[in-house]
Amino acid sequence: MRRLMPAVLLSLAIALLATACDRGPGAKGGGVASIKVVIADYSKDNTGPFWRSLSETYTKQTGVKVDLQVIDWNSIDQQVTTMIQNNQPPDVLNLNSFSSYAKDGLLHSAEDVLSAKTRDDFLAAFARGGEYQGKLYGFPILSSARAFFYNKSLFAKASIAAPPKTWDEFVKAAQRIKALGKDSIGYALPLGPEEAQAEWSIWMWNNGGDWKSGGQWAIDSEKNLQTLKFLADLANKHKVTQVNPGKTNRTDGAFQLFKDGKVGMVMGFSPLAKQLDAESKVDYGVTEMPTNIGAAVTLGVEDYLMAFKKKGNQEAVTKFLDLYYQPENITRWITAEGFLPVTRSGLDQMRSNPKLQPYLDALPNAKLVPTTDPAWDKVKLDVQQNIGLAVQPGGNPKQVLDQLQKNATAAGGR
Amino acid sequence: MVYPAARLVQASLSQYSVTGLYQGWVGPRNYARLLQQEALATVVMNTVVWVAVIVAVTLLISLALAQLLDKRFPGRRLVRWALIVPWAASLIMTSKLFVWIYDYYFGILNPLLQSLGVLAHPVDWLGDDSTVMGAMIAVGVFVSLPFTSYVLLAGLQTIPVDVYEAARVDGASAWRTYRSVTLPLLRPALLVAAVLNIIYVFNSFPIVWTLNDRNPGFGHDTMITYMYKIAFKSSLRDVGLAAALGVVNVALILVAVVVYLRTVRWQEPEA
Repeated sequence: MRRLMPAVLLSLAIALLATACDRGPGAKGGGVASIKVVIADYSKDNTGPFWRSLSETYTKQTGVKVDLQVIDWNSIDQQVTTMIQNNQPPDVLNLNSFSSYAKDGLLHSAEDVLSAKTRDDFLAAFARGGEYQGKLYGFPILSSARAFFYNKSLFAKASIAAPPKTWDEFVKAAQRIKALGKDSIGYALPLGPEEAQAEWSIWMWNNGGDWKSGGQWAIDSEKNLQTLKFLADLANKHKVTQVNPGKTNRTDGAFQLFKDGKVGMVMGFSPLAKQLDAESKVDYGVTEMPTNIGAAVTLGVEDYLMAFKKKGNQEAVTKFLDLYYQPENITRWITAEGFLPVTRSGLDQMRSNPKLQPYLDALPNAKLVPTTDPAWDKVKLDVQQNIGLAVQPGGNPKQVLDQLQKNATAAGGR
Repeated sequence: MVYPAARLVQASLSQYSVTGLYQGWVGPRNYARLLQQEALATVVMNTVVWVAVIVAVTLLISLALAQLLDKRFPGRRLVRWALIVPWAASLIMTSKLFVWIYDYYFGILNPLLQSLGVLAHPVDWLGDDSTVMGAMIAVGVFVSLPFTSYVLLAGLQTIPVDVYEAARVDGASAWRTYRSVTLPLLRPALLVAAVLNIIYVFNSFPIVWTLNDRNPGFGHDTMITYMYKIAFKSSLRDVGLAAALGVVNVALILVAVVVYLRTVRWQEPEA
């Protein structure tokens, strides 16, 4: 019966999701004896240990127990959805989206659960990125910024003097690396479902396009069509990418190839640098994105902490968040994971690390994807599932963008 | 089983927000929407191919394997044990292993086939639309063989020796004996293996999920992975709609179970 189990469990899971309406509010009146904290697993080595030790400290200080769940990224959406359908939401949740939860009225706003000192410490761009209808609901937990990685040995072999600054230079560099031999890949382009929206955002912005224009979705703009055709050309006309870029994921695809030394260029972030340093197999450089508009733009990614409204949990949650946002705690964890700060105090502390320089420099000019729009949760998934099709042989960039635009507009309506 | 089933039906008749918050009763609307999904025809076709090919190929190979294992030969015990391995290993681990075997750049399958002269150029087994389904089916067959072979082996061992002696006395050739004696007597075991495999294979999630995770869209999904994508990984992000598909899936399994139970009853007088 082994093979029957996953499907049965899946059916059961979906069935259990349905129990939402039947049960009363989960918590009893007055203060709570324990809180449920759900954290996404950023790395096996650091995430669990940090949050376990923070929870222990918290319980010692307050007497409130912590039910800590560290969940991997692949299944966290599913598990959190299940919790909410069962009317058993977490008290504190860490995720890469927040506005749908704010829209559904499930969250405490910052005024209710964060001290003024903590609120004032957030970097302005990240605080803005956590707002829904003018109030802060998605508390920045950590950030990252993408940067352009290039393989110095391959660049030297291909006699490329400096990393490309423009798209024209980029194509030329990619062609020269490709010409080194049949195993060499100019640029590793991951447009598979894992993180396609990130890769796409960077190319889109560096051609002057955007997700939205004047508050309306503008995915099908002329600029964006030009960008997507450019990416399709990289794959099918210039043939400087790895095989099937529309079907390559980031972690086990593009990054893996770069770590193996086969790839000239890739868009990475600080955790990739950490892995490259640990393996010390590839001599790499980190620089700004090549751009078509003069000034390079990069993608900043902000993840969130949210506090769910549950009866009597306000004080307990406030104390927990307060403990995490103590500068020594938040910075210790962000440093261990290799990510970037979201607070002024953290930024000051982390400036001393020269390894982080390129990312910290990029941070002020980083753009965020529109996570503040509740429709984003659907738009993101739509882009992940479809944009890769446009760069496959015979793909139709215009048709793909038109469909994304149509779906995004419809998602915003609901 | 009754409670979850009732819940599933209830969910399929309800609407939920992206976050999972219950938003009310919508009646059969999710079922109507399910029929309107553009990908549905492709997904149903994929499911039919996935189940039919795996079950057919598995049965054919297992017949041969069972025959082999029924004979006495040195090392038979070892082979019998080795055959259990793909069954005992976790499906997700097996699938991940095959992801690496099939990999265009790092996999061992391409170099192997090239050195044997079968392939002139490497193939992106999991990225090329024409090979993904075949690659997944191969893994599906691989993990289905142990169970099927053992069911058929058990079936072979219930065939009394005297019927073979009778065949030999009548001067039947080996092939004739197999067709006229072994296969008919193996029919109950074959039917059990076929029906159980149809249920297992239809429900298989990890293989398709793991080997197909790099591919955008729903071009290679079965009804089981499509259900998961509707709920959590597509822009639909709709648990009610996924539950409707879940009900359809369970209904299909029930049909298979009924067929199975009738099969078992049908063979009793013969046994």
